Amino acid sequence: MAAFTQVGCQPSSPSQRITVASAGSISSLDPAQVSTVHSLQLLTAIGDPLYSLNDDGSLLPRLAASKPTISADGRLVTIPLRTDVRFHDGTRFDAEAMAFSLRRFLRIGTLSYVVGDRIKAVEVAAPHTLRLTLNRRSTSLEGLLTSINLTPLSPRAYAKHKDSFLHDNFVGTGPYRLTKFNEKQQRLEPFEQYWGEPPRNNGLDLISLSNSTALFGALRSGEVDVLLSASIDEDQRHALNQQAQRGDLNETVGPAMEIGYVTLLSNTAPLSDQRLRQAIALSLNRDEASERVSYGLRRPLRALIPPSLPGGGVASWPRHNPTQAKTLLRQSGYCQGTQLEVPLTFRSNVPADKLLALTWQAQVQRDLADCMVLKLDGVESTTVYRQLGEGAFKAVILDWLGSYPDPEAYLNPLLSCSDAEGHVCRDGEAAISGSFWSAPGLQKALQQSDSLRGTPRMEVLNAIEKLTVDGAAYIPVWLESPRSWSQRSLNPPEYDRSGFLRLAQLQRVSQKQGDD
Amino acid sequence: MGRARDLFRYSATRLGLAPLMLWLIATLVFLLLRVAPGDPVDAVLGSRAPAAAKAAMRARLGLDQSLFDQYLSYLNGLVHGDLGQALINQEPVSKIIGNTLPASLELSVIALIAAAIVGLSIGFSGIARPEGSIDFSGRLYGLGTYALPPFWVAMLIQLVFAVSLGWFPVGGRFPPSLLPPEGSGFFLWDSLVSGNWPAFAGSIRHLVLPAATLALLLSGTFTTALRLNLRRTLRGDYVEAARSRGLSERQVILHHALPNALLPVLTIAGITVASLIGGALLIEVTFSWPGIALRLQEAINQRDYPVVQGIVVVIAALVVLVSVAVDLLVAALDPRVRY
Repeated sequence: MAAFTQVGCQPSSPSQRITVASAGSISSLDPAQVSTVHSLQLLTAIGDPLYSLNDDGSLLPRLAASKPTISADGRLVTIPLRTDVRFHDGTRFDAEAMAFSLRRFLRIGTLSYVVGDRIKAVEVAAPHTLRLTLNRRSTSLEGLLTSINLTPLSPRAYAKHKDSFLHDNFVGTGPYRLTKFNEKQQRLEPFEQYWGEPPRNNGLDLISLSNSTALFGALRSGEVDVLLSASIDEDQRHALNQQAQRGDLNETVGPAMEIGYVTLLSNTAPLSDQRLRQAIALSLNRDEASERVSYGLRRPLRALIPPSLPGGGVASWPRHNPTQAKTLLRQSGYCQGTQLEVPLTFRSNVPADKLLALTWQAQVQRDLADCMVLKLDGVESTTVYRQLGEGAFKAVILDWLGSYPDPEAYLNPLLSCSDAEGHVCRDGEAAISGSFWSAPGLQKALQQSDSLRGTPRMEVLNAIEKLTVDGAAYIPVWLESPRSWSQRSLNPPEYDRSGFLRLAQLQRVSQKQGDD
Repeated sequence: MGRARDLFRYSATRLGLAPLMLWLIATLVFLLLRVAPGDPVDAVLGSRAPAAAKAAMRARLGLDQSLFDQYLSYLNGLVHGDLGQALINQEPVSKIIGNTLPASLELSVIALIAAAIVGLSIGFSGIARPEGSIDFSGRLYGLGTYALPPFWVAMLIQLVFAVSLGWFPVGGRFPPSLLPPEGSGFFLWDSLVSGNWPAFAGSIRHLVLPAATLALLLSGTFTTALRLNLRRTLRGDYVEAARSRGLSERQVILHHALPNALLPVLTIAGITVASLIGGALLIEVTFSWPGIALRLQEAINQRDYPVVQGIVVVIAALVVLVSVAVDLLVAALDPRVRY
């Protein structure tokens, strides 16, 4: 028995397959439905986008043969496609297949709101030329074309799923074929007829473990080769970071695309008072919170647009300033024996949210004890999202990851409003996101920003952020970068500009040396 | 003959009550889910999905009907063995249960066997010298393991034997680099039958820690139950009578006291295995064991009504069946039981 156990417990000889672990199950592989980072990461291995982003943010053709041609009025976008691409079922990729996939996405995609009202028609201009007719000029369309949600699907394999989801299979064009799928484990094999650079490993096993300790332990014990950071507790993230700094592990950090923020309910008292919202924003010490909660691994953020995107990284929101906060609170009638009581809701199943709430509460207690108090309330995230648009939370800690790398994907979901009166949004994204805040001219500026390029666009984006700072219905807190840790026996993994790990480039060091 | 008739009547009554119990449970789950906050359509489509898409899905899932109509439709499906489809990915609930129940049963049965062997051995070992050091240790073990918080024990065992020592996998049910054996879903059995030894070894390695943790937590119940029942039976008149007939103490214990002391333990084992099927959640979560309890937790978080309803009803049915079976077994074995 001992011998059996010992044999079983030996680290297996370096396999050319690579095991990648992350948290959470994958319930669907249909690009028209998937939205979790974990599922999208898998899609990047088995599918291809039309374009990806270069380091300078420009478009790099993938399934497209070259950059899109845009008509003078910006409403006609022509995309030449590669001619040497095959689907995993052996059929050829062409404009018909791309049009089939895009139309399917627009028809049934749960994320079709991402495309919004931009695309009027999808047409096949030539066997390998796709033409999009837009309702309006859209600068952000280029970012949208990098989305893996728009990856092409084999029309033959999806013939019975033109109008319905196919959850447990995927037939696309990516560097890997899916050979086994269940919610907890997926097996990928290199696709021999892949048009691009072939994968540097002999296949991937993607596994889901149900808790942070198991993920942490699996990497520490050498059971998995690569660990993706989503859902790893802050302490364990810090411990892995320390290990990486000691040289025991590889650590790779991707572009910071996820923002953590607080939404304040602006259409009901007391937070309908703009000064109070501004005071709350001034009461948060981001640097301290980042250090206490994440050991500095989450970077403090004072903007809604991530720094890696055009118009991002401009620190518009004011720094922590309790003196100014006190002044504003006094002006609104607090501090003279009256405390402003702010119920702060956090998602109880997100450990970082709870730690942030506790840290902020302590900061307010320390700096503004006679003026303001935060009352914490943990609510499970499904309930939070359900009740957010009903105006159930005065202040709530949330996060957001844009569906594609463009400022539009961050500003619109928080600020867009289809029915506004003064500073109150009655209907639209700002209502869904729980702030119910708008400002005169804001919606027009949002639309304008999507029709401009270069410096004029930057100016409009800055103006939008300035309006949002004054409104103080949102308080950006921090920025989260995707991280992954891998064994030293692997070459350090790399991220693409959209924040996904390049799984096909994972390679064992010995294998690499052997190849050389 | 009269006893057999009584036993038949008793069995029929117990089995006849089972559907009533299941109906009550199914109704309760249906109502509780509808009261819980959180919209399943939001969970599937996201809160930002267009209103038209939400309405279409609501209609497709029958969520636009009145609560009573939904309830009738649900009961109708249940009666016809149709547990519905998962909201999230339209997978048949019966398939989800078919994929996850074997994992939970495999873990529960192995843990129960291990718990019974360890717990009964410890409970029995102190009987030679009541209140002696072995008996005292057994009592301490019984109380201690009963009182241990399951999540704490599970994490400790995981950290020591998987993370620090690296003897066993941290979680999961099967090595990711191997293909799971096809068949019944009971990996140990399937790999054994097909002679797939790497799969068998891999399955055992993954099973050891969760099963050992569960066994440790359960064994105390067996220890305490056997110890108390054995002491009680050893004070019985029939044991005194056996001793007075000149039987050795070994014969008295093994042939007279132990069989009687084990009958209540059988009841405990039945209740335990029934509750284990759905109750090993903390163990399944800690060790990422893809069982039915873990799936139930995920379905609750996703507000996936049909999956939650289906799993709860199936677990309830199993609990009812096992407890009825144990009752009948005890009634058949113990002539003192009256119906």
